Amino acid sequence: MTEKPKIAMYWCASCGGCEEATVDLAERILELTNLVDIVFWPVALDFKQEDVEKLPDGSITASLINGGIRVTENKHMAELLRRKSKIVVAYGACSAWGGIPGLANLYGADELISRAYKEVPSLSNPDNVIPQHSVDVDGNTLELPELLPRLLPIDRVIDVDYYVPGCPPTADVTWRAIKTLLSQELPPKGSVIGASKKALCDECPLNETKPEKVLIKDLKRPHQVIPDPTKCLLTQGLLCLGPATRGGCEALCVKARMPCTGCFGPLDRVTDYGAKTASFISSIIDLQDEEALEEVIDKLPDPVGTFYRYTLAASSLGGSVRNSKS
Amino acid sequence: MNIAGTINVKEVVDYARTLPHVVDANEYVFMCSAPGQDLIRESIKRFEINRVVVAACSPSMHEPTFRAAIAEAGLNPYLLEMANIREHSAWVHSHEKRRATEKTKDLVRMAVAKAVLLEPLEELRIRMQPTSLVLGGGVAGLRASLDLAERGFKVHLVEKLPTTGGRAVRLGTIAHSKMSGSELLKPIIDSVESNPNIVTYVNSELEALDGSVGYFKGKIKRNPRFVSAKCTLCEECVHVCPVEVANEYDYGLSKRKAIYLPFKEAHPHIMVIDPAACNKCGECVKVCEPGAINLEEQPNEIEIVAGGIILATGFEPYEPPTGEFGYGRSERVLTLFQLERLLDSDGPTKGELVVSGSIPKSIAFIMCVGSLGTTENAHPYCSRMCCASSLKNMIRIKELYSDTTIYALYKDIRTYARYDEKLYERATERQIKFIAFEKTPAVNVDPDGVAVQVRDATLQERLIIPADVVVLAVGMSPSKDLDKVRSVVKVGCSPEGFLREAHPKLRPVEAPADGIFLAGSITSPKNVLETSMAGSATASKASILFAKGEFLVEPITAQVTEEICSGCAICIAMCPYGAISRKTMGEKRVAEVDRALCKACGACVAACPSGAMQQAGFKDTQVLAQVVAISERRNA
Amino acid sequence: MSEPFEPKIVLFACNWCTYAALDLAGTSRMKYPPTFLVIKVMCSGRVDPQFILEAFRNGADGVLVAGCHPGDCHYIEGNYKALRRITMIRRMLDRFGIERERLRLEWISASEATKFVHVANEMVKQIKVLGPLAPRLQVSA
Repeated sequence: MTEKPKIAMYWCASCGGCEEATVDLAERILELTNLVDIVFWPVALDFKQEDVEKLPDGSITASLINGGIRVTENKHMAELLRRKSKIVVAYGACSAWGGIPGLANLYGADELISRAYKEVPSLSNPDNVIPQHSVDVDGNTLELPELLPRLLPIDRVIDVDYYVPGCPPTADVTWRAIKTLLSQELPPKGSVIGASKKALCDECPLNETKPEKVLIKDLKRPHQVIPDPTKCLLTQGLLCLGPATRGGCEALCVKARMPCTGCFGPLDRVTDYGAKTASFISSIIDLQDEEALEEVIDKLPDPVGTFYRYTLAASSLGGSVRNSKS
Repeated sequence: MNIAGTINVKEVVDYARTLPHVVDANEYVFMCSAPGQDLIRESIKRFEINRVVVAACSPSMHEPTFRAAIAEAGLNPYLLEMANIREHSAWVHSHEKRRATEKTKDLVRMAVAKAVLLEPLEELRIRMQPTSLVLGGGVAGLRASLDLAERGFKVHLVEKLPTTGGRAVRLGTIAHSKMSGSELLKPIIDSVESNPNIVTYVNSELEALDGSVGYFKGKIKRNPRFVSAKCTLCEECVHVCPVEVANEYDYGLSKRKAIYLPFKEAHPHIMVIDPAACNKCGECVKVCEPGAINLEEQPNEIEIVAGGIILATGFEPYEPPTGEFGYGRSERVLTLFQLERLLDSDGPTKGELVVSGSIPKSIAFIMCVGSLGTTENAHPYCSRMCCASSLKNMIRIKELYSDTTIYALYKDIRTYARYDEKLYERATERQIKFIAFEKTPAVNVDPDGVAVQVRDATLQERLIIPADVVVLAVGMSPSKDLDKVRSVVKVGCSPEGFLREAHPKLRPVEAPADGIFLAGSITSPKNVLETSMAGSATASKASILFAKGEFLVEPITAQVTEEICSGCAICIAMCPYGAISRKTMGEKRVAEVDRALCKACGACVAACPSGAMQQAGFKDTQVLAQVVAISERRNA
Repeated sequence: MSEPFEPKIVLFACNWCTYAALDLAGTSRMKYPPTFLVIKVMCSGRVDPQFILEAFRNGADGVLVAGCHPGDCHYIEGNYKALRRITMIRRMLDRFGIERERLRLEWISASEATKFVHVANEMVKQIKVLGPLAPRLQVSA
């Protein structure tokens, strides 16, 4: 009997949503386990790191790694899985572009520690205990992984073959990606798999309703508007990032009247998702006067957070360049 | 010598040789000269070069020269990139030679980085159809049509109303002449009728327009006239027609039947039936001896082709809302345009100023109605023609009725055109009483008559003027037709609501989109002279296109990669030339760029959220290559 | 470092106005610091915010985007689009820890060589005070 392909799934700095997304395959999980052997999946199966280390190099057909590289352990595991795998897939927004944890890159590592262990209002830390890299306990040395200066997408530390977008990827996207990986014809290295080559508008039912010229005079936040479900949300002043965001999710959020927040990330030709999104949104604000323009932009409390919500770590600057010690 | 005086040219050339993809680097004193160009061509042949960087003077000077040079060597002319190391380096940094040389190396490195990514580009030439479509048969449209036809170019002249002549034919008198509007225009209307190069479609509208400069395809809808050329104007039909409506040609001052001749000199000179008024009773058919009436006539559509379009659909007089200055509440409150009809010897009162049954003994003109923000509904701008027009009429009235007292209440007197200052002089000579106001006057209407209340700004006193007639010198508003026109022809609006010209001073009769011209008050208020000039100007502009015979399209236009385009339509609003539209591809939509309209600004490219829209020669990858090359670091 | 800080500023110059002004500064032999690396675009409306951030990433201490005056754009209104985009990006630079003065939008017509030289000198002075940006980008993994 020919051996089934081996699959590994691992989480770095992540919320667990990608694991849930995989479980969302529901009955298709059974078909999956018929097709492959899962050799490593900490959330569900009891394999240990040393089980992976014992595998021959390159023997895992594909490792789907979700989560970003935040601590040294993430880097270590990513490098291990890279050695042991033929194909590495950055699964989900965090591993592909840093995801929401990537927003921490707006602060330096010291600031993050200080905030978490000294400044948070709900904190009780009277002795000012700060996590250390190593500590002696009863003659033994215990080590904690170190916080890296920035959260990184995994392709900054290892070679990545494919990307599956989404926060999390939908079950259908995941299934299509897995089928692609198991097929005979693999797409060019570096491709995004399981999703569309076009932006969300291509599959959005409201795309047809746009007037000839898409222009807005005001920006609204979702709690300020009860959207008309028959009209494009962007034309109603809501910040729908659909035009800049890869499709493949069947526009689930928009169909629930919530504007797209961009979790499927950029299209192939875009180098900096946040900058491109900021460009298209500002372009359609139909005002010529600088003051009037500023007034409308004022309504956006956090443009960087809004436009780079999932992609800050992969952006041109990667995060803040402020000297965090000053 | 120019450049070498500051920059160490040899050092730059040596440096260039170290750059990736550079197989040959040379220097020459005058690269743009014949020997210099030979050097380039030899290098191309010897090293099988496929991209050229020329580091020299500004591309504005010699880019075409070098493009032609490499084309002669068999390369596509767009595989050239220039680095401006003279105007941008040698000539401005002579005080810092070392740093100037370093900067020059940077500029060369950036040019090489872009050159590597250049692609061959094709120039597109569109053949010019030497025919015009002129929309609007008023002064501007008639003038433009005639000028073009006399040059030998064919014209399709489309007019919405049953007759040409526009608004100027309805003027009672023309300033500085004894003629009425229709007398003034008669020669030009006749010339247009008889010119074999002009086909006039009255009672017609432009329904659809496709294509772009050089080859527009238009659909003209010809609305039925219901009366044919057999009509002898015997007027039997008019006698028996039971329907009477307000006559729009007299601005509501008279009535007409459903079947009517618009005015005495109307062209074509036959009756027409107003389908909105006609009740199809058929009485007119019974009495029409020549059998010219066909009540069942249907509209029909004609397709035409044109290389250029002239829009000349004119303006609308400002219509005061009911009650403003008493308008609509009394027969005694008239607009300037209505006054023109009363003073026309072919008008409803045969040129006698009879209002409410008698000749007024006292007339108050209120100027700037609908202009200069005098009322809430008024436009903020000055309508240019009303001062001279009003003064002309005041003088005419005084000539006819020397006993009548005339008051001219003005915010400002703007008699700027030739001879018009004389009107002002003559008006004062004829004892017309000028009263300046800052605060807008008020008009009280009661059963006995009308009275005007005004605060005289010079005397600083409140006056009450009892008047038999009040004439409101109304300004010009954008025509309500513009919405329909703009839905068919893609032209932008100015903030005032008129059509917007490409540049208010340097290109006043052109729309931003190539091949579309704007004549007359469609862009802003104008008097008859200015309208006529604009008509001629558009004809001149259109004939430039026709004389060239072809239209050269920019090769560096925007282009859509349909495999990536989601049809999000963000780009469409970015284009001031209307060059982008959405087309259907199977079940999906994608953007489409009309290369003939694209002027290659790149505004749509920067807005495109997916990168599907790119600009040839200025693609994201090409510009980014220059950006990345600003430093020596080789970035991952 | 013994060498004084000489900034590197990327200048996106629109073909019809600013590029011509730079040429005029050249033919008039005006003098300004060799700080500006010019990237020509047909219109300031072509300048994609991605270019600006990449410029900072690749060692630019400042970015100057220059085009025609409002109302005079060769392509009617490209400069208004540049205004909208630059206004938005400048807002975002704050959070990135990049001083707003490092990104400048100027209207320089074809005859305003003097204005360009003035802006150039002013910007160089300002950036020198702010200091180099490049070292702050070396955040390693």
